[in-house]
Amino acid sequence: MHELSIAATVVEDVLGFVESRGVGRIVCVRLAIGELTCVQPEQLKFCYESVTRETPLADSELEIEAVPARVTCPHCGYKGPPKYWMDSLADTPVPTLQCPGCGKSADADQGHECAIKTIRYAA
Amino acid sequence: MTPVIEAVPEEIYDIELEHSLLEANAKIARANRTLLDEHGITAVDVMGAIGSGKTTLITRLVERLKNWIGVAVFNGDATVANDTELIASQGVPVVQIATVNGCHLDANLVDKALKKIDLKGIDLILIENIGNLICPAEFPLGSRSRMVVVSVTEGPWMVKKHPHMFLGSDVVVINKTDLADAMGVDVEQLVRDVHTLKPSIHVVRASCKTGEGLDEIAALLAPQKASRDA
Repeated sequence: MHELSIAATVVEDVLGFVESRGVGRIVCVRLAIGELTCVQPEQLKFCYESVTRETPLADSELEIEAVPARVTCPHCGYKGPPKYWMDSLADTPVPTLQCPGCGKSADADQGHECAIKTIRYAA
Repeated sequence: MTPVIEAVPEEIYDIELEHSLLEANAKIARANRTLLDEHGITAVDVMGAIGSGKTTLITRLVERLKNWIGVAVFNGDATVANDTELIASQGVPVVQIATVNGCHLDANLVDKALKKIDLKGIDLILIENIGNLICPAEFPLGSRSRMVVVSVTEGPWMVKKHPHMFLGSDVVVINKTDLADAMGVDVEQLVRDVHTLKPSIHVVRASCKTGEGLDEIAALLAPQKASRDA
């Protein structure tokens, strides 16, 4: 349940923002979560609801933007979407680090994001 | 008439933050890595499910390496200390990191453990993570490489079920190969699954019972052993 510690970090950060800016009310917190993380959006939303109870964030919404994976291959120079593993047992195809161009190992340069993108607040 | 826009109370604003939620851990991990590099220490994060054989494998590796290089072990465990005692009986520095039901180690806990041992004379630190194939993936510790231990007793689907853990690893040990026939598990299929995810992963087929693969893992983790041997 690393989602719980991530949700707690979100709340800590946003409460710090509320305090430093004297913000009236938080409407929505928007996160960017990369395809290569194993952060489960539904679990994260549930944890967020639980940890914001009885805080100034209680009625705020948590929006999660999925950031697609992108890879670069040091062997053949390919840049772009990863190759997907279609017959894994996950609900959706799994992004791999096998280069779609040459089949060697590629490096992920996008998809590991786990960040607060924007905070929407009422003055 | 010129249009006028007036801010009203309760007006909604958006502010861009771009604030990484994993940065706090990543920052300490980088500091750990710097400290380890300064002391010429290689740290390896050993991950794997409960019962995959992490502790036994570490004990066998310590047996093989301790007379050649300085080895220390950080033993992450939610509560109990019996694994730590088992490894400590090898006569090497061991620190137990009790996460008190936490599901993964983090860089801060490793930082604290690094302060508990004398780093002089240590060449290799094996960090045994909590038995869990999901959570540790997001929390780098500052290690130079990450090794995942899967065993055939976990069945044929471990790689397909937990792809994220393998994407971030450098070495995969397929353990308990002596039981593959009894389990009806095709070891070579597990190897193919790992390489489907990331072709550069070094896969070692191992058995702590027969000794298969153990020298190979020891050489991989502590390449300087060969030169000291010679």
